[in-house]
Amino acid sequence: MSTGVAGMAPDVQEPAVVATPRRRRPMTPSMRIGLTLVGLIALLALVSFVWTPYDPTAIDADARLTGSSASHILGTDKFGRDVLSQIMWGARTTLFVGVVAVGVAALLGTPLGVLAGMAPRGVDQFIMRACDLLLAFPALLLAIMFGAVFSASTLTAMLAIGLATVPAFARIARGGTLQVVRSEYVLAARSAGRSRWAIARRHVLPNIAPLLIVQSSVAFGIAVLAEAALSFLGFGTKPPNPSWGRMLQESQETLHSTPMLSVWPGLAIALAVLGFNMLGDGLRDRFDPRLDDRR
Amino acid sequence: MPRFVPQATALLAAGALSASLAACGGTSTSSSGGGDGAKEQNVAIGLTVEPENLDFSTTDGTGIPEAMLVNVYEGLVKLDQDGKIVPLLAKSWEISDDRKTYTFELQENAKFSNGSPFDAEAVKFSIDRVKSDDWKVSLKSNMDVVRRVKVLSPTKVAVELKKPSNGWLFQMTTRIGAMYTPDGVDDLPTKPVGTGPYVLKRRTRGDSIVLAQNPAYWGDKPAMKEVTLKYFKDGTALNNAMLSGAIDVVGDVQAPDSLSQFEGDDRFVVTEGTTNGELTMALNNASGPMKDPKVREAISLGIDRDAVRKAAWAGRGTPIGSMVPPTDPWYEDLKAAHPYDAAKAKALLAQAGKSNLKLRFRIPNLPYAVAPAQVVKSQLEKIGVDADIEILEYPARWLAEVFTKKDYDMSLVRHTEPRDIVTFGNEDYYWGYDNAQVQSLLAKADSGTEEEQVADMKQVARKISEDNAAIWLYLMPSLLVADKDVKGLPKNRVSEALDVTTISR
Amino acid sequence: MLLTVLRRTAVFVASIVAASVLVFLFMAVLPGDAAEVSLGTNATPEAVAAVRAEFGTDRPLPTQYVDWAGGLLTGDFGRSLISRESVTAQISDRLQVTMILVFAAMVVSLLIALPLGTLAAARHQRGSGLALSGVSQLGAAVPAFLAGILLVALFSVTLGWFPSSGWTAPDDDFVGFLRQLALPAISLGLVEGAVLTRYVRSAVLEVLREDFLRTARAKGLTRSQALVRHGLRNAAIPVVTVLGLQLAALLIGAVVIERVYVIPGLGSLLLDGVSSRDLLLVQGVVMVLVVAVLLINYVVDLLYTVIDPRLRGS
Repeated sequence: MSTGVAGMAPDVQEPAVVATPRRRRPMTPSMRIGLTLVGLIALLALVSFVWTPYDPTAIDADARLTGSSASHILGTDKFGRDVLSQIMWGARTTLFVGVVAVGVAALLGTPLGVLAGMAPRGVDQFIMRACDLLLAFPALLLAIMFGAVFSASTLTAMLAIGLATVPAFARIARGGTLQVVRSEYVLAARSAGRSRWAIARRHVLPNIAPLLIVQSSVAFGIAVLAEAALSFLGFGTKPPNPSWGRMLQESQETLHSTPMLSVWPGLAIALAVLGFNMLGDGLRDRFDPRLDDRR
Repeated sequence: MPRFVPQATALLAAGALSASLAACGGTSTSSSGGGDGAKEQNVAIGLTVEPENLDFSTTDGTGIPEAMLVNVYEGLVKLDQDGKIVPLLAKSWEISDDRKTYTFELQENAKFSNGSPFDAEAVKFSIDRVKSDDWKVSLKSNMDVVRRVKVLSPTKVAVELKKPSNGWLFQMTTRIGAMYTPDGVDDLPTKPVGTGPYVLKRRTRGDSIVLAQNPAYWGDKPAMKEVTLKYFKDGTALNNAMLSGAIDVVGDVQAPDSLSQFEGDDRFVVTEGTTNGELTMALNNASGPMKDPKVREAISLGIDRDAVRKAAWAGRGTPIGSMVPPTDPWYEDLKAAHPYDAAKAKALLAQAGKSNLKLRFRIPNLPYAVAPAQVVKSQLEKIGVDADIEILEYPARWLAEVFTKKDYDMSLVRHTEPRDIVTFGNEDYYWGYDNAQVQSLLAKADSGTEEEQVADMKQVARKISEDNAAIWLYLMPSLLVADKDVKGLPKNRVSEALDVTTISR
Repeated sequence: MLLTVLRRTAVFVASIVAASVLVFLFMAVLPGDAAEVSLGTNATPEAVAAVRAEFGTDRPLPTQYVDWAGGLLTGDFGRSLISRESVTAQISDRLQVTMILVFAAMVVSLLIALPLGTLAAARHQRGSGLALSGVSQLGAAVPAFLAGILLVALFSVTLGWFPSSGWTAPDDDFVGFLRQLALPAISLGLVEGAVLTRYVRSAVLEVLREDFLRTARAKGLTRSQALVRHGLRNAAIPVVTVLGLQLAALLIGAVVIERVYVIPGLGSLLLDGVSSRDLLLVQGVVMVLVVAVLLINYVVDLLYTVIDPRLRGS
């Protein structure tokens, strides 16, 4: 798992805050692919709320391991459950985990980072060292520990992934904040007697927002990977709720007779991660011209 | 947008890879077996439950007796493949007329692997040890019925019971009957000392136990010089090891749907035998909605046991209707007593005023439980019952929450202990089943003659089945896959031990 | 610079202490009890109490912590309640296995990332460079366990070239060791290699735009000469950082891969420990993993200070 790494690309460690909404440049191919893949998964998830071909958890002992057919487009698993319906539902699980995990990370990490960037050196150091410490507890380790205490579920997985991603957001937010607070207009605002709170709200947050959006997309990809790995190990979404990682794990038993059962969830995981990674790259290109390598 | 092209190609390549995997099923070449030395004198068996240590007197779990009993440790008696008690370290025995004294005639030339002789003193030491604080595992209570052990001569020993007990001699075939020597119990977790045909050669935690032939064994030497027990957490890894030739036998198939790949391949032989493992849905008889017999009956009617077996265990295993495997002397076919009738189940629930029932279905995180639980949940939905599956780590959390605290409505566990029907006579057991008639029948069965025992046990089995004291989904099969030259594997698993002494190739 | 090193060391030590408290407290709230587990069904309360007393788990938490942390200082992780073996011995056996796996995977990922990343950067405007970044994007999206499953299905089950699982110690049978190591190391290294490729590429790209490279080219070096002589060294700085992070990620990724390949390493020890509620064992393994990550970060920090003169002053 590439947890903890992609969140700290070398090119993001000293973030350049160049929010230039008016200077929009055309979409890069990577962004287009990313948007398409993410859009596709979001669509699957949305449709699953109103319609799936079958109830994804309905078991049919007489239609086991059917393989692709007209009635089951992607076939059925060993319980006779429809694979397409499970993939659709799994998209929902995946996005849900991603949204909550990234949400937790952003909501905790961003204020911490901004605070660190604006607070006196002592507080800054304390927060960042605490983040370093948290960084030593990767998502997988946290989830295994949480799962042991509260019995593993989607919730424990989301929280573990979210908490483990807090330091990444805090670092990015702090880096951005440091740049903003040194800028002339903030110095001016300060001398005009504006409070720190007002500066954080009026100047810092809007300016670091693009960085956070890029980070969110990257973190989303990591969350999808982590959820899959956790469900694969049995520390994630509990059965019978569909999850791509668990589908992959369950399909191992019949890998030799019905390999396509492993292919579908595997493909879904890879495409989702690919989508979010490319979207992240695209957004970075868009918001940060310094990193534009197509010059 | 040139970036599109390479990625699309890569995707196609990934697809092609998967497709080629699909094309070539089981056409691998077999590599060497595990272990050192000539292949025909070694066998490597893949198993799933790794012992935490090697001492079953202080640590519970099925892995330790599976590996150690009969192979390294021997008792006075053992169970044969049909579930009958046969001599081992005792050549013969006599039961007094009051059925309270057992006099054993011992093997004369048996020795422990540390050189100490096996004699009547060792028998006395071993039985007394179970009754002492040195034995920690709760099974020791099966030895409570022993009043004392008398050494009559070096090869003759008498065991006096407080009251007649048919169960006691049977229990002597389990781990509590294992024979120890006083100078060989200092470091049991890592250095077992027994009289068996095999001794521990090497143990690699998380991987394997290697047993080597005991050169000083008193009886016929087994055919295999070395037996490697290799442990796999995961059924797929176990199968892969078999397919790639790393092991010679899959001793415990945990993924029956994977068997198709072995059955279609003439390198392998697949056998299905029976076990003592009743896959039992425990219902909390003592508290919660399951206290109501009507609700228990409704749940029982709402479960299509054959469909569960088909979907969860590829149709393998034996249907049963009570807590008795067919290898027990008091077996009766009671499965007809539990038909599938969803309409009647719904009606019963309505009568009981429990139409929108929500149940906490707390199960261990083991494949044999997780798969059928999902099928049961799906079936119960059809009668309007919402069974909320919660998966607890086994053994730790399941033991603490379900077994000890009895905090559950339904659970699902494979009960492998032999003759575990007696647990229904213990009102403190986690079933919460408190029935005076069953308790007195069980007590009577234990003290009576063997014929009386059979008659009484049949009544117990019928009574708990009528009461739906639990739901017996099916008897777990013993599924083995072996290289076709491996002979003499124990087909049935009716005791705690995996007897490897008869294997040859 | 000495001051920087001292300060970093102080932070490192403080982090370890803080981590040990966190780990200890977390384990202390775990439901389930090793004493009950080891005695099994039907254990009497007296027997459970006796085992608790034997192992000291009935004492107040601070006493237990001081005892445990004191032991850690001397390398004594205590004695497992379940296997009754020394935790230190178990961990050191398993740690060796995991370290070998992680380093092998690291080598695999470097072998992939350094050439591919440099190539992708050098040819970033051409089709081949784009193709390379595309492949690395895709590789980074495949979870290591999925790569593991595919590799086993192809190379061991279908082709029979490598064992599907297990572990052989290098001093037992070196060839066997290499064959066992190959697939797990590749599964783990492949994906991380793909991730690393992207960093190498962007680091090299960054360097390509720097002034000194232009100067070098102005002095008559070809583009590739300039890149090799000056670029790579400068690109090494961010890559070292990422490498450290990668090492930490590999260590955790190994937990999953060990499960897929049934390798008796730290990861499987951890998962076994959690399910048997082997408190001291889990505590020990988590502690080792956490300290390893902290140590990696610390070393990277120090390296960074040494390599990059600009940072020495701060």
